[in-house]
Amino acid sequence: MFLTRSEYDRGVSTFSPEGRLFQVEYSSEAIKLGSTAIGIATSEGIVLGVEKRITSTLLVPESIEKIMEIDSHIGCAMSGLTADARSMVEHARVSAVSHNLYFDEPMAIESLTQSVCDLALRFGEGASGEEERLMSRPFGVALLIGGFDKLKGYQLYHAEPSGTFYQFKAKAIGSGSEGAQSELQNIYRNDLTLIEAEKIVLKILKQVMEEKLDSTNAQLCTITKESGYKVFNEEETKKIVDIIYEEDEEEKKRQEQEEQDEEDEDEDEDEDEDMN
Amino acid sequence: MSPQHGSQPIQHQFNPYSDNGGTLLGIAGEDFAILASDTRQSVDYSINTRLSHKIKVISPPVTKEMKLESTDIVGTKNSVLFGTNGFSADGDALTKAFEENWKWYVHDQNSNVETGFEFLNENNEEKESFMSMQSAARNVQHLLYGKRFFPYYVHTILAGLDEEGKGCVYSFDPVGSYEREQCRVGGAGASLIMPFLDNQVNFKNQYIPGTNSTERRKIEYLSLDECLKLVKDAFTSVTERHITVGDGLEIFIIDKNGVRSEYHALKKD
Amino acid sequence: MSQQDPSTINGGIVVAMTGKDCVAIACDLRLGSQSLGVANNFEKIHQYGKVFIGFTGLATDALTLSADLKYKHNLYKLKENRGIQPEVFANLISSTLYEKRFGPYFSTPVVAGLSEKTGEPYVAGFDCIGCIDAARDFIVAGTASDQLFGMCEALYEPNLESEDLFETISQALLNAADRDAISGWGAAVYMITKDKVTKTYLKTRQD
Repeated sequence: MFLTRSEYDRGVSTFSPEGRLFQVEYSSEAIKLGSTAIGIATSEGIVLGVEKRITSTLLVPESIEKIMEIDSHIGCAMSGLTADARSMVEHARVSAVSHNLYFDEPMAIESLTQSVCDLALRFGEGASGEEERLMSRPFGVALLIGGFDKLKGYQLYHAEPSGTFYQFKAKAIGSGSEGAQSELQNIYRNDLTLIEAEKIVLKILKQVMEEKLDSTNAQLCTITKESGYKVFNEEETKKIVDIIYEEDEEEKKRQEQEEQDEEDEDEDEDEDEDMN
Repeated sequence: MSPQHGSQPIQHQFNPYSDNGGTLLGIAGEDFAILASDTRQSVDYSINTRLSHKIKVISPPVTKEMKLESTDIVGTKNSVLFGTNGFSADGDALTKAFEENWKWYVHDQNSNVETGFEFLNENNEEKESFMSMQSAARNVQHLLYGKRFFPYYVHTILAGLDEEGKGCVYSFDPVGSYEREQCRVGGAGASLIMPFLDNQVNFKNQYIPGTNSTERRKIEYLSLDECLKLVKDAFTSVTERHITVGDGLEIFIIDKNGVRSEYHALKKD
Repeated sequence: MSQQDPSTINGGIVVAMTGKDCVAIACDLRLGSQSLGVANNFEKIHQYGKVFIGFTGLATDALTLSADLKYKHNLYKLKENRGIQPEVFANLISSTLYEKRFGPYFSTPVVAGLSEKTGEPYVAGFDCIGCIDAARDFIVAGTASDQLFGMCEALYEPNLESEDLFETISQALLNAADRDAISGWGAAVYMITKDKVTKTYLKTRQD
């Protein structure tokens, strides 16, 4: 007797005959519904950016918090069920602070990411009672964790609900991640400056967002060796947003001019022909 | 006093601690550090052994290349020289506990060993995973304070190189209070040697002649040879006057080339 | 208050050293009542003819003992019509202390002087019941005796000239006192040579 595939959807710790854990795979789907988040690592620092979905004009944009500080040298951006991320960030903050208490130094970014991912695996059937298992289902959120440590310098990690994590030079997650990631791949250079990266993040967000990008529906943060984690306020974001729109405007004008020139040329040619 | 002998039960009590004597001494130089101890282990007036080791070199693996350069290297420049003095069983237990923490720390740091993208990690040339002295010291504090109400009965001294390559010595009380210092003596001979080191390492009570004791002699780093001379002088002196100190002197020296050790005989009486 | 050691109530130290045709003895100046500092001019060294004696330990006993020895020294001078030799004085102290074998003075004196006949330097120390320790090099006493032992053992060398001996004994005293909370608060050094005795007060830290 073979059970149909859907039967294996139920147990979070039951493999399907093909060796898959459907609940874990589905949790990744939850992220594809989430708002887009982008991270870039440069030799000058890390930039994280997220889109905020302002679902109502009455919604206060500042109340949406998708970029969070983990420690003064680590920040994270999230996409998916952001409520789940709160317990991950809580855990991450405790890890970072305890490490500092026990070792008198900032926690390494990779160790921090590892410790968050350890938490991601603590789901399962015996969710009640046991110390090890805390949750009945996997997390529905992915994190971009970025920071600086003296061991490996600037690092950006993508932590998945499955508990695996990978290091990236640049990474996009969430609903617009496909387009954003290919854009990152085209645009990324090893010698990007922090300023360039900030602009790139917003530019790509602008491309993949459904709403029109402005200074309230996107948020940026940077992590640098010198000044650590810094979130951009509305004013700072606006500056970059304005530059982007200005550049777009210029580009548009330039293109129009080009088209005009081409048309003129064509007309000239016509005239030439006439003369001949 | 009981009025009648045997009318009261005699109470016996187990004492979980004993004093194994000995002395431990650390000096930090500009680009080196020394940790030294005598090798006698005693209880009351009896000598248990004339060759006990109070200092453990906790080191990342010593590579063949390092051995080729100098055959007597027993640790890398990233080693922690870990010394305990007092109740030796507790000292051994503490050393083991720290060693384990050290190993876990190194494993955690080094999981996925790549050192990150080189262009994102400009100034870092360190490819070996290790624990900084500052972190080691903080960790030892928690080990000690973890037994606040049944303490490790030891005076702990750590020696090594700090993150700038300067020599450093950290000393601890039995429950984890700690401080980075230029020099420190622990154990039975502490009260004898410490003022000597104040005088000879930190130039305490030394003034520039002709200034009528208004200008202190400026503190300067001592050379390795000068430090070794002080260590030997200190131990021969304390061996002379203290019954639990003697037999042998074990000196560990850490500098940018790694850790070396020396052994010198002390009086066995 | 619980029972405590009388010899460490008042604090203080004395050290004596022999040199080449010279001898030095030095003391700190503190008088305290446990952690409380009471006086910073409490000299612990007394002169008896050409013999110098430092008294450490319980201050009241030290004072009593020094007065008793002064009385005995005066009688000795009257009876013998000559100054007392340091060796003789040491024996006098020893028997004086032993008289109180079962209710001792809580003081450990240190004798320093030059033997008149031979000109040899002489130093001696005692326990509180009169056992003489006539060392050839140095004698230490007081609440920082451990520290003094360490200092002296490391710094001392035999047959020093008086200038060098002065520096050695001063450094030994000062650095030992700095590692003892109930010693210090000033110091005095006596340098005794064949034809002159100099007394020097040392500048010390005042904590």
